[in-house]
Amino acid sequence: MTLPRPRIALVALAGLGATFILLPAIALLARVPWATLVAVLGSGLARDAARVSLVVATGAAILAAGLGLPLAWILARVPFPGRSLLRSLVVLPLVLPPVVAGIGLLAAFGRRGLLGPALSVLGIELPFTPAAAVLAAGFVAFPLFVLPVEAGIRALDPRLEDAAATMGASRPHTVRRVVLPLLAPSLWSGLVLAWARALGEFGATIMFAGNLRGRTQTLPLAAFEVAQTDPAAGIAIAVALVAVSAAILVALRGRFLR
Amino acid sequence: MTAARRPGPIAVLIAILLVAPGCARSAGAGADRELVVLAAASLTEAFTEIAGDFERVHPGVRVRLSFGPSDGLAIQIVEGAPADVFAPASPRWMDEVERRGPGVSDRAPFARNVLVVITPSDDPGAVRSFADLARPGLRLVLAAPGVPAGDYAREALRSAGILQPTLANLASNEEDVKAVVQKVVLGEADAGIVYRTDVTPAIRDEVRVVHLPRSVDVTAVYPIAVVASTGTPRLARAFVRAVLGPGQAVLRAHGFLPPP
Repeated sequence: MTLPRPRIALVALAGLGATFILLPAIALLARVPWATLVAVLGSGLARDAARVSLVVATGAAILAAGLGLPLAWILARVPFPGRSLLRSLVVLPLVLPPVVAGIGLLAAFGRRGLLGPALSVLGIELPFTPAAAVLAAGFVAFPLFVLPVEAGIRALDPRLEDAAATMGASRPHTVRRVVLPLLAPSLWSGLVLAWARALGEFGATIMFAGNLRGRTQTLPLAAFEVAQTDPAAGIAIAVALVAVSAAILVALRGRFLR
Repeated sequence: MTAARRPGPIAVLIAILLVAPGCARSAGAGADRELVVLAAASLTEAFTEIAGDFERVHPGVRVRLSFGPSDGLAIQIVEGAPADVFAPASPRWMDEVERRGPGVSDRAPFARNVLVVITPSDDPGAVRSFADLARPGLRLVLAAPGVPAGDYAREALRSAGILQPTLANLASNEEDVKAVVQKVVLGEADAGIVYRTDVTPAIRDEVRVVHLPRSVDVTAVYPIAVVASTGTPRLARAFVRAVLGPGQAVLRAHGFLPPP
């Protein structure tokens, strides 16, 4: 069966949408200071920021996965009052301005935050630490892990698990041999999306973790700070970020949309 | 709620299309009726008041204020952001706009400011003097290098001979001086170096102020000028004159010193 050909107007509007989304990236490419690109990206500042970003984004993806997988399972499988409300609220970090998320994180985990006194008894002070950057990025990335994974769990056929149990498989064995392999594509999508979102995190990070080179200054923060005084260098770092993020999304080839 | 009462996506789209062109237009020229003033973050309170006075004296004129780090604002102007008047916290960034375009006219210094150390009111870091900032383990925040408040602060630390040990305590390079104030008011930092004028009535009870020793002679000088690319040179000049004239009383009331 062939699909009907789309109207020209629809194609034009779709083209407008694609242009709108791609134009900023293209415009950045057009202004790349090629002559100094290598020097900027090889500079100590950019290398430090790349290292911090790598650690923070990976930590954030692991955090989102560790806390998100049980929640996604409960949301997908266990009916309870308020489930749909909770499901809506889990998406909150996606729609919150990240700076607001940062203020919220300070209010919760800051020295004078809700948990501040308890944390300080344990000798933990989070703000301005790399751990705070991981928390900030993990917070905003959280929904991007939970959404595809919850959808994946809902798409699992529970009868397969019943069948495995009937054949005498223990629950851990079933999870390892039946559930996880079936869930792998969603887990992978969730992890990579969360990682990519964490890589781009700015507002919550600068609010909650501050901005210190080699410690909490991620690539977006470095791009912002450098662009204040040297736009060309800022663009060089920005382009590197766009390239990495685009490469990840292309490698996923829209898998998370299915 | 029934679905019928919700505005459909089409209605929302139409609303956006109706409103959006208005926004675009009002951000542009707008004849002689609108003035865009880019000013250092430390001028937030004083310039908000001066702009209010200016609007009262010039009926029909709207002053749009944009506050931020002077370095960032200067780059915005160099990159072609619409601006009629520029007032950074350091001559360095006015020079930048003069040198790298679009240029300025009617340039004049209009105020000076001094630095102070602020701590949260309960002073968790026990900061009693400027030299205490160098004590190991203190959690200090400064404005980033390039931001005038950050540059002046480093200059003051260098002049006191405590720059290196103090920078070892640096927890964060904040984007502008108001972000430094905020981190101290929130109690997350033990100390920050800001302008005296940043200790506004709104936060006076939430911070402690430690003055710099007399031997540290660092003063911020604020220049103001009309941006050469302005579409409303007369109105822009009128605003500069207002800052140099009646605005001086407002600046004094907010703790700024007279220009050199």
